Order: sequence, then structure tokens, then C-alpha cells
Amino acid sequence: MDLSPASRDVLRPPAPLRLVFVSLFAALVVSLLPWAGWMLQARPDFVLLLLLYWVVHEPRSIGQTWAFALGMVMDVADSALLGQHAFVYVVAVFLTQLLRIRILHLTVVEQALHMLGILFVAQLLYVGLNLSLGREFAGLTLALAPVVGAVLWMPLHFVATLPRFRRRSDAVMM
Amino acid sequence: MRVASTGWLSSVAAYQENFFTRGPSPLARVTFFALVAVAVMIADHRFQALSVVRVGVSTLLRPIENALMLPGNVVRDIGAYLIVQDKLLAENKALNEQVLMLSAEGQRARLILSEQTQIAVLNEANERFSRDGVVAEIIRDARNPFARRIIINRGLSSGIKAGAAVIDGVGVVGQVTALGMSSAEVTLTTEKDQSVPVMIVRSAPVTAALPKSAASNAATLATEMTAPGSEIVAAESAPTSRARSGLRAVAVGGGRDGTIELPFIPVAADIEVGDELVTSGIDGTYPAGLAVARVTMVDKNPALPFARIVAQPSTAPDHHRFVKVLTNTGASYPQPDVKTDDLAGSAKGTQTKREAKREAKRALRDR
Repeated sequence: MDLSPASRDVLRPPAPLRLVFVSLFAALVVSLLPWAGWMLQARPDFVLLLLLYWVVHEPRSIGQTWAFALGMVMDVADSALLGQHAFVYVVAVFLTQLLRIRILHLTVVEQALHMLGILFVAQLLYVGLNLSLGREFAGLTLALAPVVGAVLWMPLHFVATLPRFRRRSDAVMM
Repeated sequence: MRVASTGWLSSVAAYQENFFTRGPSPLARVTFFALVAVAVMIADHRFQALSVVRVGVSTLLRPIENALMLPGNVVRDIGAYLIVQDKLLAENKALNEQVLMLSAEGQRARLILSEQTQIAVLNEANERFSRDGVVAEIIRDARNPFARRIIINRGLSSGIKAGAAVIDGVGVVGQVTALGMSSAEVTLTTEKDQSVPVMIVRSAPVTAALPKSAASNAATLATEMTAPGSEIVAAESAPTSRARSGLRAVAVGGGRDGTIELPFIPVAADIEVGDELVTSGIDGTYPAGLAVARVTMVDKNPALPFARIVAQPSTAPDHHRFVKVLTNTGASYPQPDVKTDDLAGSAKGTQTKREAKREAKRALRDR
């Protein structure tokens, strides 16, 4: 029997798709709150965070296509140029797909550090895209957003260890 | 286990050797989607081609946002209900006084208006701008730290068009740049590179009558390297304040902390701190005569070709809730054939300009 991490992953039962979409929708709703000022700058990208979470835990349900679609929705929601978020999400999801199997074997804090890196790259891309359009730099508070996002990864991780998922997460941790 | 710990490259390999992976590799997918995203960005930025997507998605998102705003609105309304009576009485008194003052003003305005319509009829002139407009409520600021935009609660269904001018009780707020069915994005005049053609108006009393072209003479003199400073200084230091400096310029948003700048104004131009900038109306988007900003800083460094002029916008859209979107600005002047596509801010107004041009032609024909 093939015991490589990838094959173990294949044996896991999938999370209910309903849960995936409800959680992504919840993240979208939180992003739609009337954020403003420094709160807006420090706002972590909830949708991206949930997206990355499901890319790590349910790679067969959520991938580049969803990243692109949700990115377009976020572009409209945040009055950005269409395609900006889509581009950033697609790249971030790709990075997560590369690191996915490694992330699954790390402790929560180490996972959060990986996420910090990915979210920071995503934020850099987003800021870079805006600056290349001739926009004014909005301030260093923007660097807080990935940090807040990485911190939020930890409570998110505990979703995976909730009672109804316990059997699955045990299988992952083996 | 070892496979995962030897580095990210091997984890790529593990991912790709995955038994059940179907379809293109992640690298192929990311390349494809990134290219599509870039294409979408270009389509949206250069050609404004994807407004359909925007209208659709924003129409879907609106109910959610409304529901989210509900608790805050309820709290605000209750707060407004519980206002202290003293405050209401004081406000009532002030308003009564204002009504008296305004009724006098109103009568004067009516008189002037009737005179003006007579003159206009005599001259067969077009009305500078119609008063047609839609009053809209500001819902929120755009959730984008890089943009100075507000969202209003009227959209395509109220007959608002992209490029329409948005004003409030004081002056120009901005321009409609994106539309939904029942919402619209208004780019404020303070947005970086958002441009408004303005005319400089001086509110100081008239102290000396000068020949009409004094200001423009000074301006043209300044552009010539050979012009000595003496004449210019004289022109500046003399009490030249006429009611109107009349200098035309383009006000450009500063991009941060609510500033508007006037680039490319010669050092010797007739401009002072306190001068008002009002729309000149030559773009056909903004009707003439609306307040835009007040000059707060003039840095005339003779070593530089242009003066650095900073102005503070007249309106503060974050302080009140209602604005008016002008639905029919009409043609104020015949439009010259000028390509304005280079200006990112005005690119979205081209539609309106074309319409304005058409209307100007129609007006000429009718005459």
C-alpha cells in the first residue's frame, strides 16, 4: 500500500460541499461590512483566507477556478479594477497548492507562519498592482492585514478538529 | 513523511504524482487564470468593457450589504430620535432665521432668473446646465484603501449614466465611474489623477479696475525665459484683485488627505491663497460655476517652471448623507475635437462628452 502523504490524503472522505460554500459565503459577508479607515487597511482578506483553508483541506473541491470567480466578486465588492483580486487569489492558491502537503504535516503555529508568507506575497501583489496603476500608497497599515490573517488561521484550523471532523483530522495526523 | 520534509519542490512532485489528479497541472492552471485575470484588468482599465459583470455582481451583493447596514442604521435612527429638545429648538430658531434670509435671497434670485431667461431667450442661448438630477443617499465609502470613492444608493434604474457629475449643497463631489442597478460608485475629485476643469474666481473686493487681459498677460510673460521679473512682481504686488481672475486650469486630485492640486500653472500666474476654484464647464461633464475647491497653498518658487498650488475641496462628502447626480448636464460649449483618452480620470467621461457634442450639434441645427 502506498503510504505517501498524497495517497493518505486521497483516502480522506471529503468535507460536505455545503460546508465549504457556506463558510466561503460567510467570509464574503464579513468582508462586505462597511470597513473604513485604518480598519479597512488592516482588514485581512477573509475570503482569501477561507479559500486557502479549503485549498489545503479540500483540494479536489476548491481550486483555481473558484479562486478566480471569488476574486472577480471581491473586485466588484471592493470597487477595485476587475481582475485584481482574481489575479492575486489565483497566485496565492497556486502557492498554497505547492505547499499544501507540507502544511498538512505542521503544527498550527507553523501552518500560520506559512500562511503569513503566502498572505504577505498576496498583499504585496495587490499593492504592487495598485501602485502600477498610478494610485497613491495607502500606508504601512496595509502590512498588518496578512499578520491578522495568519493569526486568524489558528482558530480556523480548529474547525478541522471539531468533533464531526475528528476522524478525518486523525487520519491526516496519523 | 520524508517526501514532505525535503522541500517544496518535492511537494510539487508529490502533488503532481497524485493518483487521482485529473486535468491540467497547477502550474498550467495558474498560468491560464493569471493570463485571463490580466486580460480582464486590461479590458476593464483601458476599454471599460466589463460593466456588465460589475452591474450583475453588484446587484447580487446589494441585498447582503443592505442587510449588514441595517443594525447600524437602526442605531443611528434611534439616536436621531432621542436628540435633546434644546438642540432642536436652537436648530429651529437658526433655521427660521435662515428661511427669512433665504426668502429675501429667493425673491432676488427669482427676479434675476426671470431677467436671465428673458436675456437667454433674446440671445437664443442654451441654458448653462439643467437642474435635472437625482438625489441619492451616500451608503458608504468604497472598501478600497487605494481609491477615494463613495457608493450611492441610485443606479441604472434611476437613469444615472456613467460619467455624470455629482454635486452636493456646496459644490462638486465627483463623477459617477461605475454603475449597478441600484447603486453607483462616485469617484471623488480628490482621487489621484481625477481631473476637473476649473476657473479661478476671486472673492476679494474689487479695488482697482485693470485691463481685462492683465492676468493672462502676466501668465504668458512668465512662460518666456527672457521676461524680467520686474513687470511680473509689479503685476502681483499691485492691488489687482478683480472679481474674477478668470484663469482656466485643470484641478487634479492629490490622492490623499483630501487635497486637490493645480499642476502646470506658471509661477507668475494670477493666483493667491483663498481663491476659489469653480468648474469652467468646458468639458461638458461638469456644468459651469460649481465650487470645487479653495486654494490653501501657493508655492511660487522662481527656480521651478510651475507653481505648486494646493487647494482644499469645498465639499466634504463624509460629513453629510445626500448628494445630487446631474442626469442631464447638456452642452455648455461647443466641444473641440480633443482626445482625452490619455487622462485616466476623464476616460470614463468620454461617453458623456460624445453625447454632449451630439447635443451641441443638435442645438446648432435647431437654431
